[in-house]
Amino acid sequence: MDAFEWMSPQDIEQAARAATTTVAAAMVRDSGEPAAGDALLKAGGIDLLDLMKEGLLKPRRLIHLRNIAGLDRIEGAEGGLRIGPNVTLSQLASHAEVRMRFRALAQAAGASASPQIRHLATLGGNLLQRPRCWYLRSRAHHCTRKGGDRCFAFGGENQYHAIFDHKGCAIVHPSTCATALIAFGARLEITGPRGARRAPSVEEFLLLPEADLHRENTLEPGEIVTAIVLPAPAQATRSLHIKQCETESFDWPLADVAVVLDLESGVCRKAAVVLGAAAPAPHRARAAEAALTGKRIEEPVIRVAARAALQGAAPLAKNGYKLPIFETLLRRALLAATEG
Amino acid sequence: MPHNTAPHASRCTQGVTGATVGPGAAAIRLEVNGIVRALAVLPSETLAEVLRERLALTGTKIACDRGACSSCTVWVDGAPVCSCMVLAIEVDGHRVTSIEGLAGEALHPVQSAFIEHDAIQCGFCTPGLVMSCVALLESHPHPTEEEVKAAIGGHLCRCGTYPHVIAAVLDVARKGKRSP
Amino acid sequence: MSAGTRTQLQPVGIAGVSLGQAERPVGAEEAPALAPNAQLSCIGRSAPRINGHAKVTGSATYTVDVTLPGMLHARILRSPHPHARILSLDTGAAEREPGVRAVHVIEHPIGRAIEIAGPGEAGPARRQLRYVGDPIAAVAAVTAHAAQAALERIRIEYQPLPFVIDIEAARQSDAPPVFDRPVRTEVFGGPAAQLPQHGNVHGPDTSASRGDAAAALSAAEILIEGEFHTQVQTHCCLEPHALLADWRDEGLTVYMSTQFTAGIRAELATALGLPLSRVRVVVDAMGGGFGSKSRIGNDVLAAVALSRKAHAPVRLVLDRHEEQIDSGNRPATVQHIRAGARRDGTLTAVAIEAYGTAGVALGAGVGNFAQSIYDCPNFSLAQSDVFIHAGPGCAMRAPGNVPGAFAYEQIIDELAERLALDPLELRERIDSSPVRREERRIGAERFRWSRRLAPGGGQGALKRGLGMAQSHWPALVHTNCACEVRILRDGSVEVRSSVQDIGTGVGTVLAQVVAEELGLSPGDIVVRIGDTDFPAGPPSYGSRTTASLTPPARNAACLALRKLIAAIAPTLGTTPEGLTLRNGRISSSDGLHSIGFREAAGRLRTEQIGAVASRCDDYGGFGHRMGDFAFARNGLGGVQFAEVTVDTETGRVRVERVLAVHDCGRPINPRQIESQVHGGILQGISYALFEQRILDAPTGHMLNPNLEQYRILRSRETPAIEVHVLENYQGTSATDAYGIAEPSIIATAPAIANAVYNAIGVRVRTLPMTPAVILEALGRLPHRS
Repeated sequence: MDAFEWMSPQDIEQAARAATTTVAAAMVRDSGEPAAGDALLKAGGIDLLDLMKEGLLKPRRLIHLRNIAGLDRIEGAEGGLRIGPNVTLSQLASHAEVRMRFRALAQAAGASASPQIRHLATLGGNLLQRPRCWYLRSRAHHCTRKGGDRCFAFGGENQYHAIFDHKGCAIVHPSTCATALIAFGARLEITGPRGARRAPSVEEFLLLPEADLHRENTLEPGEIVTAIVLPAPAQATRSLHIKQCETESFDWPLADVAVVLDLESGVCRKAAVVLGAAAPAPHRARAAEAALTGKRIEEPVIRVAARAALQGAAPLAKNGYKLPIFETLLRRALLAATEG
Repeated sequence: MPHNTAPHASRCTQGVTGATVGPGAAAIRLEVNGIVRALAVLPSETLAEVLRERLALTGTKIACDRGACSSCTVWVDGAPVCSCMVLAIEVDGHRVTSIEGLAGEALHPVQSAFIEHDAIQCGFCTPGLVMSCVALLESHPHPTEEEVKAAIGGHLCRCGTYPHVIAAVLDVARKGKRSP
Repeated sequence: MSAGTRTQLQPVGIAGVSLGQAERPVGAEEAPALAPNAQLSCIGRSAPRINGHAKVTGSATYTVDVTLPGMLHARILRSPHPHARILSLDTGAAEREPGVRAVHVIEHPIGRAIEIAGPGEAGPARRQLRYVGDPIAAVAAVTAHAAQAALERIRIEYQPLPFVIDIEAARQSDAPPVFDRPVRTEVFGGPAAQLPQHGNVHGPDTSASRGDAAAALSAAEILIEGEFHTQVQTHCCLEPHALLADWRDEGLTVYMSTQFTAGIRAELATALGLPLSRVRVVVDAMGGGFGSKSRIGNDVLAAVALSRKAHAPVRLVLDRHEEQIDSGNRPATVQHIRAGARRDGTLTAVAIEAYGTAGVALGAGVGNFAQSIYDCPNFSLAQSDVFIHAGPGCAMRAPGNVPGAFAYEQIIDELAERLALDPLELRERIDSSPVRREERRIGAERFRWSRRLAPGGGQGALKRGLGMAQSHWPALVHTNCACEVRILRDGSVEVRSSVQDIGTGVGTVLAQVVAEELGLSPGDIVVRIGDTDFPAGPPSYGSRTTASLTPPARNAACLALRKLIAAIAPTLGTTPEGLTLRNGRISSSDGLHSIGFREAAGRLRTEQIGAVASRCDDYGGFGHRMGDFAFARNGLGGVQFAEVTVDTETGRVRVERVLAVHDCGRPINPRQIESQVHGGILQGISYALFEQRILDAPTGHMLNPNLEQYRILRSRETPAIEVHVLENYQGTSATDAYGIAEPSIIATAPAIANAVYNAIGVRVRTLPMTPAVILEALGRLPHRS
């Protein structure tokens, strides 16, 4: 890696002031080499160091967020949970209350990457990491997301790309935790450079290419995610996250599914169904949710919902196989969530 | 740094908090295998590089340099991490254990079991695997086979020692051996 | 029988089945016949790995761990284009960069097909780059970072040229040619007739054909036909290619992660015009090779040139990206097979048309497997190399046989089904190997093969299937191979050879063999290997180290012992003739004289005595010889059984269990053999289900040049594995031991493919069998508009 300066601020304000841009903005360029001179925020740094080692980022300074006190806690908040962005994936996956009341999130976090990475990677970083698209991560491909004029996935090797919402860019969102967070209706707390605060839902926070081709979320320069807030789930909530990868040991999902069901004696009062690795942002399958709401969750209803989840899917040349996988995963997730 | 931060991890002062250092060398203090080390490191140096190049602790291996093979696994504050994806400057004030710090005079039971079960071929991934397997038994003294497989899922062994590694770990667990 | 030979009775046959004795002609210096393992105390036992302690404590020294004072670091500049001409190249700015000590431009790259220059031609004036990653130049600087920075200051003007990376597209007559001229035909092991070359197609090579396959096919009672596609697999050694070159006036020393110290020395001496005696190659611990670290490459020559220029040691370690794009790979293949048989299963004709691509290199042939495993009077093989603009392939664990077996063993499985025969029964009829017959018997019983259902016969979405396949691999022996055994005055013993331990545990095996001969235990033997200062040992490829080196090790130990006895006999007041080593003591047959081994060594007049022995021919001769190595009369067998589950809704294949039955002559260290077989099976599963190099057609770049998106089997994909190894004595050398590394990978992918067929009733002829491939085979993909 090229040399850079290091700053380890003690509070959020200092960190926010020091950051000059976001990782996504720093990767946008006319052509050629990444711009030098940026000051970038770093939490666990798994993705950031990866991008720097690949020569896709050449920051002048890193601002290390992990020594800021208070960002690594999981606390109760209005019946739900308030999770600090520095909470690691292993911390999240092993947290008793997360496992009990937000099972899908614990499952998503606990099945990400490897134990050795989960001890380092933070929930904030997981949410903000750049997509794994191999064109985005190749210095040889100046793609739309980096300011180029084409998405190489179209007409290229798109077997791991999106089946929904891929207008102009076919990335899939890399965060499996985000799949679960959206299903739970999580919100973020974000602090801006001059103390400005906002609290978008994760669903609002994540962007599709049609809204912005160059970034996956609405984070602005100097903004810091200071908490991920899970609202209180209904009493009888059942949730589940499952995924399928090519290898189980260590892999990114081909497809992942989070379901959160509010069940009242077998009848679904409210359902959230979210597909990960399906679209540039986790894909809320509203037709599936509608097919479940008000119904007793049994095999025929589940079949209808699983099929409905794929309404509007537009697979690319090499990723049509994702459709049967999604349909199956969703069917199995709904069955298992209802039973467990 | 990992969640299960040891109580004494804050013993060393975090000298660089708040200030800006680099791009040249910056002073850090960290505890490596029980010895507090004062080092001057570039902010861009990874923990794996510093262990290997500055402290000559070459038992920690770099094979992918992207956190995808876990050959470089060491413990930071007792938790196994990929040291290629940690900057040395981040562990300022923390406690690092590398393969060289695992055994005293006698081998750790996991190391002995690796030899006994021939859980070794080329051996390049072995130190990292040993670190993860010992960490597993520290937190789960009686893991199932599936738990062993999950604990080492991030490790890549191209020679294919997994069956013998799993057998070695389960054997240690069965015999109830813990760290010496 | 020539002068100086004798005959001796050797154990012959399979222990527990057919063990007997047979008379063999042996050289005068040969050790006496070695008893079967059951009567031995070191050989046939699972001695712990001699470098196990060093490897589990991290103290083992790999090439990447070696440093020298004043060492420089080198990096290589590589082509960003899949095909381009270098119009101009200026290293001036790079040379002036701070910390830079030397720059070397690679003008004549090696490790690929070499064009034949026309009459009077000196070769092209300008260097052509033929794949992304093709090395251009190298820089040595005080740090790796400074070297990398300097690379970016090398100014190059490229003229990009049209390129092709798809094997089918490359075969077309209008495809951009990778080479403008014919390339020199090179085949493994020796000279061959120059093959035709049209466009990117070099071949076909039909030299292995026999009989009249076309006629026999048209007359066949049963005809089976299939086309099989296999992918490029990369070696992914955990230790990258690495060397530290130290050029000095008195000679060159190279510390290198290599599979063949002696071969690297010879190649370097030739390339540099140095005498062998001025080149030394050293490797201590070695982090995997699998074929990719067998020869010198451009990286090696560049580091040596930089060291020479800079008058300093130069360290060069490839990064993972470089490993993936330019350190060799297993070639991709397309195989079209037609097999004709009689209704009783007898094979009457086989015709194979195969195209393979090793990128810019030759060597993608697959025919050896089908040619060798079953008897068939009419066999036609037409195999061609297809050049594409991609990194050169090279040998990888059982080259050719792995893709070859994937295809051919499925054809045999199909034939069995067509004939309504159990696949084992068909092989009883067509396989003449008595060893594999025994292996099938053992395997079928332990695997409970009889529970196998009809194809696609299971209920529910998750289908279970059983399959089996067989392997064949030649037993290779390196005859340019020697070993020294020294006995020191304090009774300690050293065994010395330049052989390298790439992870197989050959050092442990040597200690066992020498200890057996000297009545000691393996831990008493100091093993000094991995250094060309020792007698030249064999390469660690072709599964030949044990077969090549253990006989001379045993003979050297035997000779050293004779010297010891001769030296100390006078001190006992007797003559050497009646003295032998028994139970750790040198004793006379009449029992009057007896002395412990260590005490005897203490009576030596000199600090040490020793003996060097080299590999003699197998008793009774070889099948055939090729330069420095030879093919033993009998090959190595192996039968593997696989149990899989296929999720027909998600396309996921899971290998649940593999049972492997193999032979490697006399097994010397059963647990190390088991480790090798595990490795072969796991690499085979990984090849069958996960691994593939993905090249981007529009740009020629590899899209997954890492260890994350290039997917490899890990712990959770590891099935239950059972290994059974026969003791198969053939009476052919002083140890009768042969190799196992390559035989263990060959049958795995076809056994899985046959099990997948058994599970779902659909034949999958494409690798890797990813969910996408399985779902497509099952017709579960959505219809596209």
